[in-house]
Amino acid sequence: MQQLPLAISPARAPTFGNFVEGANAEALLRVRELAEGRLRETVLYLWGEAGSGRSHLLRAASAATAPGRELVVADDVQALDEPAQIALFNAINLARESRGAVLAAGNAPPGQLPLREDLRSRLGWGLVYQLKALTDEDKARHLRAEAERRGLRLPDEVIRYLLSRLPRDLPSLNAALELLDRYSLSHQRHITLPLVRDALKADGR
Amino acid sequence: MQILWDACLRRLEQELPAQQFNTWIRPLSPEGAAESDTLTLAAPNRFVLELVRERFATRIERLASEASGRDLGLRFVLARGADPGSRPAPSAARDSNEVPTVLERARLNRGFTFDSFVTGKANQLARAAAIQVAENPGISYNPLFIYGGVGLGKTHLLQAIGNHLAEQRAQARIRYIHAEQYVTDVVRAYQQRSFDDFKRYYHSLDLLLIDDIQFFSNKGRTQEEFFYAFNALVEAHKQIVITCDTYPKEITGMEERLISRFGWGLTVAIEPPELEMRVAIVLKKAEAESLTLSEEIAFFIAKHIRSNVRELEGALKKVLAYSRFTARELSLDLAKEALRDILNVANRQITVEGIQKTVAEYFKIRISDMHSKKRSRNVARPRQVAMALAKDLTQMSLPEIGEAFGNRDHTTVLHACRTIATLRKKDSVINRDYLVLEQVLKG
Repeated sequence: MQQLPLAISPARAPTFGNFVEGANAEALLRVRELAEGRLRETVLYLWGEAGSGRSHLLRAASAATAPGRELVVADDVQALDEPAQIALFNAINLARESRGAVLAAGNAPPGQLPLREDLRSRLGWGLVYQLKALTDEDKARHLRAEAERRGLRLPDEVIRYLLSRLPRDLPSLNAALELLDRYSLSHQRHITLPLVRDALKADGR
Repeated sequence: MQILWDACLRRLEQELPAQQFNTWIRPLSPEGAAESDTLTLAAPNRFVLELVRERFATRIERLASEASGRDLGLRFVLARGADPGSRPAPSAARDSNEVPTVLERARLNRGFTFDSFVTGKANQLARAAAIQVAENPGISYNPLFIYGGVGLGKTHLLQAIGNHLAEQRAQARIRYIHAEQYVTDVVRAYQQRSFDDFKRYYHSLDLLLIDDIQFFSNKGRTQEEFFYAFNALVEAHKQIVITCDTYPKEITGMEERLISRFGWGLTVAIEPPELEMRVAIVLKKAEAESLTLSEEIAFFIAKHIRSNVRELEGALKKVLAYSRFTARELSLDLAKEALRDILNVANRQITVEGIQKTVAEYFKIRISDMHSKKRSRNVARPRQVAMALAKDLTQMSLPEIGEAFGNRDHTTVLHACRTIATLRKKDSVINRDYLVLEQVLKG
């Protein structure tokens, strides 16, 4: 009989601390400063491919915003409709008038966003950072650390296997790790290559 | 404190590269009494202050505590006589109990003045008209209608008029408002049935500065209210200044009677700045941060950021932030590095098809060879290079990459990546080919 695992894998709320920074140390520092009210700039815009960590940083910033500080956060700005664009436009104007702050993110640099011209130029007015993709070494390090946090032993050959078989963006890799964690719990087996193959197959990958 | 600081200096001089030490640490000077439990360091300008706080504060604090044998706090201040322009505007740190100042009531940002407005061919007419109106409100041109593309300084000019008049006449009733906010105010007045207060307030102004009037488009109720305010103010010889992203006749969704009134006074355009003016703008913005920027760096930024003044400002900020982050002095190389992702955005979407095409062209083979089963060296090697680039520059899985190269197995991709990695170490020609291709693809 298969043992059903309880949902005990610790929830992984995005924080600055568990952001895998790779080549994005400066961007991470600026977002943290903005949230804590230590940045002189009022508008910060991050862009990068899907899975590059935009939403992670935005959610971490919302959670870490200093008390009494107003931080407007806008994710996926490339998809904002007209009223939402005006709202963001107003938020930026207000922030510049009165010390609030705006943290926005999207999939393209300001100049290439399909938005109102006056909003586009305002997003490019503050500090703009591209979130750069992680290298495979960064990802391996992350998988190792994340496995340790979950109390899993993840052999190097398994890490190599995951990186050579799966899409290599962080959300996909995290999802795979979650899957392995549950699979190994419910089958009461250590994580080995055969287990990984079984688990991925059972999941239809 | 001087003795203590000298001890810290000796240690820091040993620890840091000479250039960093001379640029950031040497300009600091200690302040305060010797027995104080806080070491106060005065920095010559805000830029140095922020950089030192960011990069060296922890180290300095530890050294000072060691040298003094007790726990010392660390505090940074701007040196007396430091450029006042780099201090935060008083309104920024206002006490909530204070009575709002003229500028606060008017919603004016005191940084936007005629002095800080960089003039060139693109905007000299608009600036001259604005000064004329600020000197003689209600008398010369009414309304003054300023139009131009985004981020060219319309708001700056508009607020400069307000700041100028506020300085000349402390009692003047001035109001700057963004059109979008005006729309909101009309809706609120409607909901709260407070139109009388609304009217009384707007009709009593000496100077109404209204920004981005195109936001009134298709807002009938707002247009009607504004029509009354406009008439009342003009009749009373009170000044109205309007900005817009386009020429009055081009505004869509605006009542004809308003459009014709916009043309009663003077309509002037602001054009995008030419290169020399963009250089001047960058230098001026740097000056506002009490920084001397070399012409070379200003020229580099101005040459590459052509779109509008906001993005120029953003680019300069990025360079300064990067300099602080890396604790390196401003230089052309540093500016190039800091702006690399802004400048390289044209080719940012790297796809496996793009890689195959670029690599095929580079090695003068056919794109179809990327998918073919041919195994001759002159085709196989470029294919391996392309696979390795696909692994390094995209987030695709190796099976997906294999599929894109004529349905190959992921082990073939893995083998290609290893082969190329080994070859790059041994063969400088392959290594160079690889780096060139990588650069081309990254833009």
